[in-house]
Amino acid sequence: MSQMGFYFDQTRCTGCHTCRVACKDWHDLQSEGVNWMQIETIEKGTFPHLFLAFMATPCYQCETPACMAACPSEAISKRVSDGIVVVDPDACLGREKCEKTPCLKACRSRVPQFGPEENAKMQKCDFCLERLDQGKQPICVEACPMFALEIDTLTALQKKYGSSQEAAGFRHPVKLKPAVVFTPKPENYS
Amino acid sequence: MEVSKTCLDGDVRVVNTGCCHDCGGRCVLKAHVKDGRVTRFESDTGDDPQIRACMRGRAYRQRLYSPDRLRYPLRRVGKKGAGKFERVSWDEALNEVAGRLKHVKETYGNASILLMASGGNQGMLHGPLPVGAMLQEFGGFTRTWGIASYEGAMYASMATYGTIRTGNSREDLLNSKMVILWGWNPAVTIQDPGTSLMLARVREKGIKIVAVDPRYTESVATFASQWIPIRPGTDSAVLIAMAYVILSENLQDQAFIDQHTVGIEKYKDYLFGVDDGVQKTPQWAESISTVPAEVIAQLAREYALIKPAALIAGWAPARAAFGEQYSRAANVLTAITGNIGVSGGYASGFMRAYSSREFSHKKAMAPPDREKARPTGNPVEDGALPRKYSLHKLYGGTNPSGARIHNAKIFDAILRGRTGGYPADIKLGYVVASNCLNQNPNTRRGEAALKALDFLVVHEQFMTPTARFADVVLPVNTFMERNDIAPPWLGSPYYIYLNKAVDSLYESKSDLDICRELAPKLGISPMMYNFSEDEILQGIAAGRNDIPDYGAMQRDGVLKIRLDEPVVSFKEQIENPDNTSFPTLSGKIEIHCEHLAEMGDPSVPSIPRYMPHAESHDAPLAKQYPLQLITPHDKKRAHSTWHNVSWCSEVEPHVIAISPVDALDRDIRDEDTVDVFNDRGRVRIRARVTERIMPGVVELTQGAWYDPDEKGVDRGGCANVLTRDEASPGGAHPMNSALVQVEPSPQD
Repeated sequence: MSQMGFYFDQTRCTGCHTCRVACKDWHDLQSEGVNWMQIETIEKGTFPHLFLAFMATPCYQCETPACMAACPSEAISKRVSDGIVVVDPDACLGREKCEKTPCLKACRSRVPQFGPEENAKMQKCDFCLERLDQGKQPICVEACPMFALEIDTLTALQKKYGSSQEAAGFRHPVKLKPAVVFTPKPENYS
Repeated sequence: MEVSKTCLDGDVRVVNTGCCHDCGGRCVLKAHVKDGRVTRFESDTGDDPQIRACMRGRAYRQRLYSPDRLRYPLRRVGKKGAGKFERVSWDEALNEVAGRLKHVKETYGNASILLMASGGNQGMLHGPLPVGAMLQEFGGFTRTWGIASYEGAMYASMATYGTIRTGNSREDLLNSKMVILWGWNPAVTIQDPGTSLMLARVREKGIKIVAVDPRYTESVATFASQWIPIRPGTDSAVLIAMAYVILSENLQDQAFIDQHTVGIEKYKDYLFGVDDGVQKTPQWAESISTVPAEVIAQLAREYALIKPAALIAGWAPARAAFGEQYSRAANVLTAITGNIGVSGGYASGFMRAYSSREFSHKKAMAPPDREKARPTGNPVEDGALPRKYSLHKLYGGTNPSGARIHNAKIFDAILRGRTGGYPADIKLGYVVASNCLNQNPNTRRGEAALKALDFLVVHEQFMTPTARFADVVLPVNTFMERNDIAPPWLGSPYYIYLNKAVDSLYESKSDLDICRELAPKLGISPMMYNFSEDEILQGIAAGRNDIPDYGAMQRDGVLKIRLDEPVVSFKEQIENPDNTSFPTLSGKIEIHCEHLAEMGDPSVPSIPRYMPHAESHDAPLAKQYPLQLITPHDKKRAHSTWHNVSWCSEVEPHVIAISPVDALDRDIRDEDTVDVFNDRGRVRIRARVTERIMPGVVELTQGAWYDPDEKGVDRGGCANVLTRDEASPGGAHPMNSALVQVEPSPQD
């Protein structure tokens, strides 16, 4: 298996939300609040010594996904070929039937999500599997006006961009081994 | 022409089109169309530089297929502004509009018809153009002048250089040794889609970027290594003090000044206090702007000595009372440091470095008729004298016709007419591609004005705050439903060809088709309407000198023009001054502008000056309203467009940003509901307490839709409820010059 991973150049991100909306459009996520790509704003400091950064969180396709371990119906699995974590909506019990929805609590990054519809099934980022199959990058990567995102095998990304696993707004959960590489924005950036 | 290709979904057609509202950028969108519906978008995946759409373009399906789209022509049934309408047929609606137009023409004359048009829904063809052509043929109309975005910057650019083709193309920033972003947040405003990526590359190359801004914006945070917070409305004082430092320490480019400029001595008289006894020292500017004197001096020295350096003066600080003075001061500073006409420098001005639209400093032209305004073909403007304060002796820029009404004053003009000193008594308003009630200053006065009209017709896609006041609303299609061509406002070297992706939804029509049906009812047949959409577009393209292959542009949806080297404005004038001059009256860069001097009016000084006004931070009114309101652009919208799109609005709630210091003084906590008010109106909105705005300043982004409750308190957060409906002499709108107070809202 060659684990696929995500690269985010935090120094380039202007917080424009293009990746998030491109994802919603591509996957037709009409509901407000359902975002397979999430953008968090990080503000620190006191005027006039400030720090502002953004964190782009799709699914980092953990090597040992906490959501998968937590699922009572084995609806979440990790693909052998590329390590992408996928959910089988037929196997997912749905928000009401599952009751505890432990996948929600398992993931600190709030990647698993449920829509507003009745007994909604869990949904999440899958790196745009069907686009990857076509040899294309995921829609978020192709959308980013700052060319700050990339998807490749984790090994290739580490070779290109180093091995920073933490950035402003993201603390590395050691046990889960998220497949992510950052160019983090240091707090003394400006 | 629509282009099909194999794609992921098999039977999906991919239509090469683009995004085209009023941010200034024009971006590639590839619409996936299945069974006559757009199902998803891709953006530019082609050659560099890619013109990638932003969040707004990507969210377009929610706008196109919004349940709130206007479906049919509507006629008012309730009171004006109550938003009660009945569905009528196109024939009924257009008969009514035609009848009213004819009645007003016969009773009051054509000047009583006011076209309120903007760029909200406009390509090179669709939008105001066909409406203007119709009203012109009908005998004319009163039109407006004064673009809220940039009129101050444009006036200053004309006064200094005689043209608005200034600055260098974006990629040339990589040749700078220092870049100053003054009051400019391109990460949000877009304007040119490639700007942010270029600024990131500039930073990554190790080039120092300094940002001067009252807010710690996304651009400041991402690109700048130094942030200089500055009190709004005082930018000119700091720029003037920088000139003082440079000239008193002999850091200027004297050879450049001698060769290419006029009037440095007059400016020195002002800087060194000869004419008013006040030396414009950094200490003087500190007391006005809050920027420490040593920071001003240091910035001045750095900018003067690190050559070449690019000072990019954004338009926002010029959206202020006497905003022209800020732009003039910036332009002059770029001149005295010799940063003009050289790669890596930047002639601060209007920013339109590349454009096949303006040619004034490329082509010799006959001298203009200096006694009259420029002829326009609009009979109402025939023989009009130049407007007071207009730069009517120069080519380019804004038409100086005295028959026009400034956009900031249209409400006052409607209410007061000729007795108020305006060129016409307005009876009928015709609104196209504009949400003028929301986007012009002093919305509540605007409400009174729109109610006072005999008749108001609005072309719209949604029931906007402006459309609510209409007598007849005509549903217009979007650019996904018609063909058009769109160059970016700032003239980056490309065009987007907007191929029609789907048929017009419901009963909506293009502005062109509406006019085609309306014109016969007015008994006219403008020549333009004899041609098909495609023929008109081909004609428009033929008028440009940089569209060699119309068919290829149409097929690809984009035409990227390859430049051999970056555009450097005024390169010819600087390299070859004996054969090329600036298109000013003197032929040189005008530090002292003789055209302005001739006016002999202190509100349009011949050299840049810092000029306080009725709503300056230290004006008497500040005792009652101690906070300075600024009304910048919001990433969630382009002006008021996309306001009603949840994919965008879910980014963050609409708030007023206030510093912790000011919030504490008022017992306001983050997320509290507060009232923001002055004598013009009151807005009730959620507070965002943030360090990212300097103390003494509050920020309410413009464009949210006016939504008054029964007491007239705006619950929608429309910034223009609070802005002042005055215009600077040069035309700058005072959108960032309003004093307000903020207090916790009363319990409902």
